[in-house]
Formats: sequence, C-alpha cells, structure tokens
Amino acid sequence: MSFQTPLGVARGNGTARSGTGHGLVQHAIALALIPIGLAAAVLFFWMIQVGYAGAVSLLRQPWVLLFVVLLVALPFWHGYLGIKVIIEDYVSNKRLAYTAITLIRFLSVAVALLGIIAAAKIGFGG
Amino acid sequence: MVQLRLPQNSRPLKGKTYRVKNATHIKRFRIYRYDPDTDDNPRVDTYEVDRDHCGPRVLDALIKIKNEIDPTLTFRRSCREGVCGSCAMNIGNGAGGTNTLACTTGWEDIKGDVRIYPLPHMPVVKDLVPDLTHFYAQYASIEPWIKTSSPLPSRERKQSPEERARLDGLWECVLCASCSTSCPSYWWNSDRYLGPAVLLQAYRWISDSRDEATGERLDALEDPFKLYRCHTILNCTNTCPKELNPAKAISEIKRLIAKREL
Amino acid sequence: MNNSRSMPLSPHIAIYRWPLSMTLSILHRISGVVLYSGALGLVYWLVALAEGPNAFATAGWFFHSWIGQVFLCLWSLAFFYHLLTGIRHLAWDSGWGFERRAYYFSGWLVVLGTVGLTAATWIFGWLIVGGVL
Repeated sequence: MSFQTPLGVARGNGTARSGTGHGLVQHAIALALIPIGLAAAVLFFWMIQVGYAGAVSLLRQPWVLLFVVLLVALPFWHGYLGIKVIIEDYVSNKRLAYTAITLIRFLSVAVALLGIIAAAKIGFGG
Repeated sequence: MVQLRLPQNSRPLKGKTYRVKNATHIKRFRIYRYDPDTDDNPRVDTYEVDRDHCGPRVLDALIKIKNEIDPTLTFRRSCREGVCGSCAMNIGNGAGGTNTLACTTGWEDIKGDVRIYPLPHMPVVKDLVPDLTHFYAQYASIEPWIKTSSPLPSRERKQSPEERARLDGLWECVLCASCSTSCPSYWWNSDRYLGPAVLLQAYRWISDSRDEATGERLDALEDPFKLYRCHTILNCTNTCPKELNPAKAISEIKRLIAKREL
Repeated sequence: MNNSRSMPLSPHIAIYRWPLSMTLSILHRISGVVLYSGALGLVYWLVALAEGPNAFATAGWFFHSWIGQVFLCLWSLAFFYHLLTGIRHLAWDSGWGFERRAYYFSGWLVVLGTVGLTAATWIFGWLIVGGVL
C-alpha cells in the first residue's frame, strides 16, 4: 500500500548525471574495432598459412605484437561495456545486477590480461 | 525486468463467440476482454460483424459491436479522426499486431480475423483501457511547458520561421502512447526509462527557441535509465500512427548531451 | 490509483508483430555475446601458441573438430553481422539513417552483407587456404 503520488514515483531519485561517457567510449572502441577486426581476419589466415614457427616469428615483430595486444584488449573492453547494458536491461534486482556486472568486469580484465601476457611471452621470446 | 510470460492472473483464456445472423459477408473480431468486477482472468471474445453494414475503420466496428452486440465492451475514444490519441490499441491479426489508432485504421486492410488487444505491457483497467497513470506522470516529470527567466515581454514571444520549423515533427504528437508501449526497453524498464513518447516531448521543449531551460532539461535526462535505455530498436518509429520519428528525437537528445561533454 | 486487486498486465511480446528492425536489434545483442565467447577462443589460441608446438597442435585439432568448426562458423557469422549492424548503429548515433525507408534499406543490406561476407570468408578459407585452421 502506498500513497506516493504518480509524479513522485515517476521522478524517483532524479538523474544519475551519467551514462554519456559509457556511450562515447563504446563508440570510440567500436570505430577502432572496424579496421582492427578486418585486419585480424587477414592476420588469421596468414597465421594459418605459416604454421607454428611462422606465427611465432610473426608475433616477434613489434607492430604485429602491438596489434595483437589491441586485438585482445579492445574486444574485451567493448564486450564488457555491452554486457553491462544487457544486464542492466534484464536484471532488475540491483544487488544481483551489480554482482554480475562486477564479475563480468573481472572476467574481462583477467582474460584480456592472460591474452596480452601470452602474446608478450611469444613476442619477447620467453 | 524481462518476463516473457505473463503473470498467472494476466494470461488470456478463450472467451465467448457472438455469432451474427442474416449476414452474407462476415468479419471476425477477436477482442481482449477483462472485467475488473470478477476474479476471472482476461479472455479473448470473438465477435462476428456484418461486413455490409459496418463503417470502414476499426473504431466503427468497435462502436457497432458495443451498440448492437455487447454493450459491456469498453474502450477509449473521442475525436474519431486521429487528433485526440484516445483510441490507441494493438491491432493486427494472427501474425501479430502493432500499436495504432483504431479511428485511422481500416479493418478491410487486415487479412483474416482482426485481433485487438490493449496497448502492450500495461496494467489493464478494463477491456481495451490501459492504466496510463505512470505514463502521464512521466510526461509531467519532463515539465512540458515553456520555462523562462527573462522578464516577460510586453507582447508575444517572438520566433523566426526557421525556429518554428524546428518544432515540426514534434508538436504533432498526440500522446497516444503507441510508441512507448511498442518499445521492449519500455516493457522491461518503464519504472525508470521515460520511453519514446515522453522523450520526443522532452525534445520538443529542448528544441523550442523560446525556452530558456535547455541545459536543465538535458541535465534532467542524463541518466542510464531515463534516457540511455533507448537501444534504437525503432519499434517506436515503425508504429507511430502520426508518422513521427521518436527514435530520431531521442538520438538528437543523446547527441546534444554528448556535445556538451566535448 | 491502486486497486486492491492487482490489475492484469496486457500481453506484449507474444502478440506484437516483429518488425525487421526489432529482429535485427536483438540479433545484434546475441551476436555480441557470441563474439565475447569468440574472444575467449582467441585468447585460448594465443595461450596455446605461447605454450609451445604441442599445445598449439591441440588447439588446431580442436578448431578442426566438428564442434570447433561450428564454433568458428557461428563466430564468423556473428563477426560480420555485428560489424555491419555496428556500423549502422554508429550512423544512427551520428544522426543518419532514421527515415523509415533508410533503415529498412540498411537493414536488408546488413542481412545480405552478412551472408555474403561470411560465405566469401569460408569459400576463401576452403579453396585458397585449404581448410579453416
């Protein structure tokens, strides 16, 4: 039972004054991922052609290594921001939503770091 | 929260069929019914209508049914010419329906049986009458009036023809709620997301050259839920019976706010 | 206004006619999630490469197996789809393409483009590279 007026309900707690940065970052990454994604498709076929030894020596090139680092980092950043929105949309329990978003953020950072470490290990010849 | 299935008390049951006598051409209308005075679930009743003695619009058929077959059938209507926005409902056939005005939709264009439901994902007061209390409160929350701080001019507030033209495509909105109730984002998050109709109205006041509160208005919208639940699904623009473009208006608001950041 | 008895909720997704844009929108979301799992696959492949020839061969065997091929097929489909709808989203957010004719046109373009690019990639993979991975 509630006697709160409809206007009070609609206004709620006002605005968070946020969300704009999320979109701007997401757009910037998306824009960067267009050429990176297409180049990755080319690199992918290249690496298959050259086999294990060729792939390793390719990753020893600094520019290729940098490219692969971006190729791992940016999709996980983009993916984290996207999945955050999906969770906010579909999970109305705030505690559950916050937990899920935190887990996805942790997973994204951890797996992206793993990929970067793997690429660096090959690149630096460890 | 997404809930694809309706709650237990909301699932429509099969209803009655009202047959027509002495008619050679028949059109069937399957209409959502809910009676708040009983404990029964909603149901879908079927009405047979004599095609040769019925006006061309869905609203004509509804009025004919109410007058001649079943006086308990309840729906909102007023102007019967698409300017009041009262008779918005979900109209279609077995393949699904879209939200539109019953008074400007011809039933002859609809293949097969006509299916009529109240506006989607809304609390139902009775039959085709949804409870729009929250929708109207959201409209009130964007303060849809001119706000100024300058001293009152002695005569009218002036506006150039170009400034006035910026309101075209916005002022025509009749607040029928067709767009908002077509939007999946509004279905799942209407407690906080303002929805396309209210955001188009908000943009109408943001665009008004006479208004002096543009910044405040943008402040009041910059929120992950109030504004940024719009994911450009475009159901709003697809369904608008006045052929307006709420999705574009929302995008303009997003861009104005983004430009402030840069 | 709160009735003592709660009002029923009107039917929604089950009765709504899906326009093209709504279908493409939910597929954009689904393809995004598929790509996220694909990115996990990419990291697995890199780790295998870092571990040495044996692990790399195992990864190659996995991607060659039927389950790996299905995974790659879905991944490539999701990749081209998300790429094209993503470009469409960037255009909208720059204020372009909101007219009904424009977004129906761009929508069908996305569908054709996705099928075309995915097919071209696999044909290229099978004919020229000689099997994907």
